[in-house]
Amino acid sequence: MNTRGRRVEVVLIYQSLLGLYGDRGNATVLMKRLAWRGYQPVLSLVEPGDPLPGSGDIYLLGGGEDAAQVSAVRALKADGGLYRAVDRGAAILAVCAGYQIVGNSFTVGYKDEVISGLGLLDVTTTRGSVRAVGEIISRWNGRNGEEQWLTGFENHGGYTRLGPGVKPLATVEIGVGNCGDGTEGAVAGTVIGTYPHGPVLARNPALADHILELALGHELEPLVHPEINKLRRQRLARVRRLHARNSLRVPSG
Amino acid sequence: MSATYISTARLSAATFAGRLAGTASRLTRRGSGASIRGKVMLRIDPRALSKLLAGKRVAIVSGTNGKTTTTHFLASALRESLGPDAGRLVHNAEGANLHHGLASALSEQPEADIAILESDERVVGDMIKLGHPEVLVLLNFSRDQLDRHHEIKSLGRSWRTALAQAGPAGPVVVANADEPLVVWAALAAENVIWVDTAATWTQDSSLCPECDAKLVRIQPDSALGQDSDWFCTGCGLARPKGDYRVESGTIVDRAHQVWDPQLSVPGVFNISNAACALAAAELMGVDPRTALIGMRKVTSPAGRFATTQFGNTTARLVLAKNPAGWAEALPLAQSQTVILAIDSAAADGRDVSWLWDVEYERLAGRSVIATGRRAQDLAVRLRYAEVDYRCIPDLAEALAGHPEPVDVIATYTPFQRLRRMGRV
Repeated sequence: MNTRGRRVEVVLIYQSLLGLYGDRGNATVLMKRLAWRGYQPVLSLVEPGDPLPGSGDIYLLGGGEDAAQVSAVRALKADGGLYRAVDRGAAILAVCAGYQIVGNSFTVGYKDEVISGLGLLDVTTTRGSVRAVGEIISRWNGRNGEEQWLTGFENHGGYTRLGPGVKPLATVEIGVGNCGDGTEGAVAGTVIGTYPHGPVLARNPALADHILELALGHELEPLVHPEINKLRRQRLARVRRLHARNSLRVPSG
Repeated sequence: MSATYISTARLSAATFAGRLAGTASRLTRRGSGASIRGKVMLRIDPRALSKLLAGKRVAIVSGTNGKTTTTHFLASALRESLGPDAGRLVHNAEGANLHHGLASALSEQPEADIAILESDERVVGDMIKLGHPEVLVLLNFSRDQLDRHHEIKSLGRSWRTALAQAGPAGPVVVANADEPLVVWAALAAENVIWVDTAATWTQDSSLCPECDAKLVRIQPDSALGQDSDWFCTGCGLARPKGDYRVESGTIVDRAHQVWDPQLSVPGVFNISNAACALAAAELMGVDPRTALIGMRKVTSPAGRFATTQFGNTTARLVLAKNPAGWAEALPLAQSQTVILAIDSAAADGRDVSWLWDVEYERLAGRSVIATGRRAQDLAVRLRYAEVDYRCIPDLAEALAGHPEPVDVIATYTPFQRLRRMGRV
């Protein structure tokens, strides 16, 4: 199939609400990886009140604070476009707070007010015992070789439990992930939710290409970027080394 | 009387012990000694900070970005007006702005009766209670070190609560009218002087701090003669009218007098900082002309914007700690080769996701050197920005061998290292 010049639309949803942790970076990564392969990528920035474009191939949701999360879920429900996008088979990447809002429900504030989510992933989020903050390494389920390791930074107070309608994206090696039960993220069809926030795709190009392949419906030629491989090796080695050192330390008190 | 005596004796003992610890820290090259000195003092006398602040005229400056420079402006304005009595003024010039650093700076000049202090955003509430400041300057709020401060709104709330509790005895607040969260916090004060700073960073305030409804932001547009503005679509919160204004590079004061700041530090954001300092200086009794003469003497506050030598290389040092700071710093970088130093030590924030919120694409056409312990993260960011770069993690190596002057933009930890290396 000749894909040269094919238009591919990436929709970045509500940067003003869900753009806390460099989340636009995921859009940057996808756009460039398309352009470098000869596609014609188009970026659509949507803010609350604007209709979600019905022509998107990939929709991105990022991280945000409690009040922003509530506003975002309200606007997305009123719009309804994300449901239609999933029905069309578009790929959805929902990160951190975005992951929580595409689930069944999540809680906000110290009174743990329950907010109903979009229900695109069968997951439920409640406030966790301790905030999960730090580097995370997980193993991408079903993948082998170097690309199986997902590396990122998580920072979330909510803990997410998976229902029968989803599969975990990955298995935690270091970090908290969904809720400390060893799972990280969730997948159902073309919808992927994950905690490592911000530009998770910058550190994990295989995941970026997987999302592109979901949206395009066919495999892509690999791109070779030594600097990204070097960054991955550095992060994986450093985080594992620090983890090993901390594990050896005798607890005080 | 004996109670006073014991109280004073304890403070003296604490100050003495702190000084010993500080000297030890300096001699062993562990740091400037300010923080450890304050730590030891507060261990021996937990009330040291309030005792040191007692009886002084106090001004506090806080905000995410610009507090060190603004505090230098204000201190320099007051020194100018004090003339030969400038020794009456104490100032935490090095930017140590938590409890320990503040106690340490104050103990260095116990005889001073005017304290001009920058304070970390988290310490503002305590400083209002302990220091009874007459002036409080609140500059801005933006996301910074999110691995430690999870919500900037909770910081704003702590300011608001402390100001409400202080009531009529509280400080006169000089507040940036362009920052919704600052305005919301400052409205709890009895007296506020608003400064229209013509700020352009709006990414960290999209929801109303009062009611969570969407804020409408209007970007300034000089071609249309349009000022920046904002208002809430849900409640009555809106941008207050500025008592002082920044207008096309000038500062308009309360009396509508227009001043050309002619500062010695670069950047439009520093004109905004100067406008806030000018308002604070006037509140403390300094006339604007004298204040500006003082402010122009500020050239490289705590090393910021300092030009220095690294071997044969001439480099100018710029600090940028977060996306808002980088948005200000990148336009300053004019050299063909630009050096960017990134780290993720605790003081920088351990999470470098913010790299993707900075428009490094602006550097296209320049040659960039990525350095610091997280240089590789920057390298990947620059690859996606399609900016030419070389990755040289070692700072000294990155700075070596540039025949033309270079601009260096660094996060906090490498910035401090560069100051030591360049002796500024």
